[in-house]
Amino acid sequence: MKYYLRRIIFYLITLWAAISLNFMLPRLMPGDARSIFIDKLMRRGGEITPAMENSIDLVFGTEDSSLWEQYIRYWGNLLRGDLGISITKFPAPVTELIAAALPWTLILVGTATVISFILGVALGAIAGWKRGTAADAIIPGMTLLQSVPYFWLALIFVAYFAVQFRLFPIIGGYSLRDFPAGPEWSWAFAQSAMYHAVLPAVTIIIASVGGWVLGMRNMMVSTLSEDYVVTAEAKGLTRGRIFTWYAARNAALPSMAAFGITLGFVVAGSIVMEQVFTYPGIGKLMINAVQDKDYALMQGVFLVITVTVLAANFIMDLIYGLIDPRARNNV
Amino acid sequence: MLTKSSWKRAAFAALVAGVMGLSACSGSGGATGNGSESPAGGESSAATEGKTEGPVLAVFAGSQTPIVANFNPYSPTLLPGTLGSIYEPLFFYNKADVGDPIPLLGTEYEWSEDGTSLKIGIREGAKWNDGTDLTVDDVIYSFTNDAVSMDYLAEAVKADDTTVELKFKEPSFTNEYAILGSTYIVPKHVFEKEADLVTFTNADAPVGTGPFKLSNVTDASYNVVKNENYWDPERPKINEVQYLGIDGNSSAESLFKAGQLDYSTMFVPDPTTLTADGRLGYLRLSSPNPLTILTCSNAELGCEGAQTDKAVRQAFSKVLNRDEINEKAYYGHASLAAPTFTLPERDDKWIKDGLPKLVDGGADVEGAKKILEDAGYTLGSDGIYAKDGQRASFTVNSVEGWSDANAAAELMVSQAKAAGIEVKAETVTLDQYTEDRQVGDYEMIISALFGTPISDPYTIYRNSFTTDYTTPVGTPLEARQTNFARYSNPVVDEAVQTAAQTNDEAVKKEAYGKIMEAIVEDVPYIPMFHGGSQTFYNQVDFDGWPTEDDKYAFPASWDALQAAYVMSQLTYK
Repeated sequence: MKYYLRRIIFYLITLWAAISLNFMLPRLMPGDARSIFIDKLMRRGGEITPAMENSIDLVFGTEDSSLWEQYIRYWGNLLRGDLGISITKFPAPVTELIAAALPWTLILVGTATVISFILGVALGAIAGWKRGTAADAIIPGMTLLQSVPYFWLALIFVAYFAVQFRLFPIIGGYSLRDFPAGPEWSWAFAQSAMYHAVLPAVTIIIASVGGWVLGMRNMMVSTLSEDYVVTAEAKGLTRGRIFTWYAARNAALPSMAAFGITLGFVVAGSIVMEQVFTYPGIGKLMINAVQDKDYALMQGVFLVITVTVLAANFIMDLIYGLIDPRARNNV
Repeated sequence: MLTKSSWKRAAFAALVAGVMGLSACSGSGGATGNGSESPAGGESSAATEGKTEGPVLAVFAGSQTPIVANFNPYSPTLLPGTLGSIYEPLFFYNKADVGDPIPLLGTEYEWSEDGTSLKIGIREGAKWNDGTDLTVDDVIYSFTNDAVSMDYLAEAVKADDTTVELKFKEPSFTNEYAILGSTYIVPKHVFEKEADLVTFTNADAPVGTGPFKLSNVTDASYNVVKNENYWDPERPKINEVQYLGIDGNSSAESLFKAGQLDYSTMFVPDPTTLTADGRLGYLRLSSPNPLTILTCSNAELGCEGAQTDKAVRQAFSKVLNRDEINEKAYYGHASLAAPTFTLPERDDKWIKDGLPKLVDGGADVEGAKKILEDAGYTLGSDGIYAKDGQRASFTVNSVEGWSDANAAAELMVSQAKAAGIEVKAETVTLDQYTEDRQVGDYEMIISALFGTPISDPYTIYRNSFTTDYTTPVGTPLEARQTNFARYSNPVVDEAVQTAAQTNDEAVKKEAYGKIMEAIVEDVPYIPMFHGGSQTFYNQVDFDGWPTEDDKYAFPASWDALQAAYVMSQLTYK
């Protein structure tokens, strides 16, 4: 029990520190939203209308109150569930922006991550099991895919499968021509959404599966030289039983831990994928907020990510405490 | 707006998307092609006059997803299409060419002798899209409400049922464009009910007089349809426009290639990749905003460095080989700027006789050396000129990731070296750059200035060259102040004052002449280029686009009123 109590206290302190950093860091960066906004207009050749002159300061103006007062107010708002108003997507509340983007991210990136993990661990286990044979030859191929920059891979996919062969859509989470009024509860819309998800999901899986395969394959190789595997073979257990229950099960442990953390980061979305496919999601909220100095949105997105990553770690810690007695004793 | 129910819909959509992700390996889910393609215009016989049905015009005007519905003309984050498509000003000023303003909601205007009063005739028979009539009261409200608050306006009064008279505290000729061309007329009966004109979103059926009206909004796109009650029966001829939210130029290019985008203005290094199959037309026009190298030029206001010496700035400007920079860093798409900071061709009539109309494209190494030597500089053993221990050496900053500016800075290093000037090219983050520029903590930065939308250089002279529009180094500039160079010259200040008092072209031209002589001599900003704005448009399905010979508007898709005016002129082919 002491183990769990210590873990909980540790995580509460981490959470406080993370949320405070989340407040401080954006304010330590140079630059301000107003001049960035004006500069964007200037760069592309726009103009400022008389009406905008007055409202720019109202919307983008900096706060006069002290940092400490802002910090107290930040916590007060946070505890009330108020994350503030985005200024770059003015006047949308940050909670609404995140709530609208999160489901897309969770489901697409989450599913792709799970598929990639299962596929990677399975392939890795097989490659490790049949080390030195033809099956091992998938390793160099996987390393190649792993080292290809994701945005390049995604652009190539778009150029061929979407533009050249017209097999898949180029942008969006659903067809904008067929559903100009937005998402709706219908089979046709579901089809459209599924169809639009294929290319983004496939590119994410291709780009991330290699890492899992490599890790699993190497763990598998070292596990196979363990004494208990030799014992199992000596006992005359079937090869299938040794593969699943003695080798793969133990070899997958480190991958499981990494998977927990990866799942936590799913909420951060996939910045490049969302950019290339103009797919709805959290990643672009984050990058836009950082670029345009949108403090409220930045804090909101970082908060969601921090909390989820901490929660994922916490759950992994608890599970580890359960499945591995050594973890409980060492702390 | 994103409501609770739309959240649920999005959740469902994403759930479905995820399920599809799972089955991605087992082949495609079988939906039928992305967004039915626009019907091929070529098949439906030759262009018949007055065709009333056709495809939806898909426009990319720079919106990124998620789109947040905001059609408030007073909000800085309003969506493209609000101004021009839904709300209109009194007159249309063509930014691409010289010419008289075209009447929209106004019919005529007349200044008083001294420029303190302006009478404007208001169009009879114009209606708001909710059916009510446009009245003089609406116009008065549009000039006097809290959000607009023009500080130079004393009062706006109704002269008769179709005439408004604006009275000013001071001669206001120079604000003519701001008053007539970019103050948008809003419905008093709708807006006066709002508590805060800046923060309301106006997302639910905005009431305007424009050629189009809003039909629906999502977080990925929004549509406007023809306003059947528009005051001009000749316009618009197309029925529907869809504004798409797209997160990157490469996606926009892909959509163009696949025939799913009809109109956009964006940077494409090699435009022939898009125009090759003949579907898209292409028009390049110079942006009115000059690309320049800002220099912190004024030691009296706290600037430091070799560039505070006029001779160094003159010599540096002379030694630059702008043609090479254009070719290698800007893909040859830029065009040379005028040293007088006017837009070449459009504004040439203002340039004082004897002053150059364009900066030199090639380098003048000997000329640059001579300027430095005449100013008392001597060539040091390190190959760099120096005077009283001050070496002709300074840093040119450019923003990290702006690859054109980064490349330009690198080229300047070697070009300047030929004339014994040491340039250190450094990159800074975007945040650092905006901060430095606001407070004057830099030596030189590759940047841009706001040019003037119409053919009269008054606002750029006032906002970027006068003492009132700058601050000492260390104090940030305010919103309207863009005198980044900290330039201060009594001759310029006085000439700007003079120009503000008159509507007499000859007097103005004389005042501008003094300013031009001063800034060509002092080079507080190093004039470089005007960026090209590249517009691509579907010429197979739609007709009536501006061309090189008929620049009836500046056709940039992101330029609210100009783009709306173009779209209201289009016809189906």
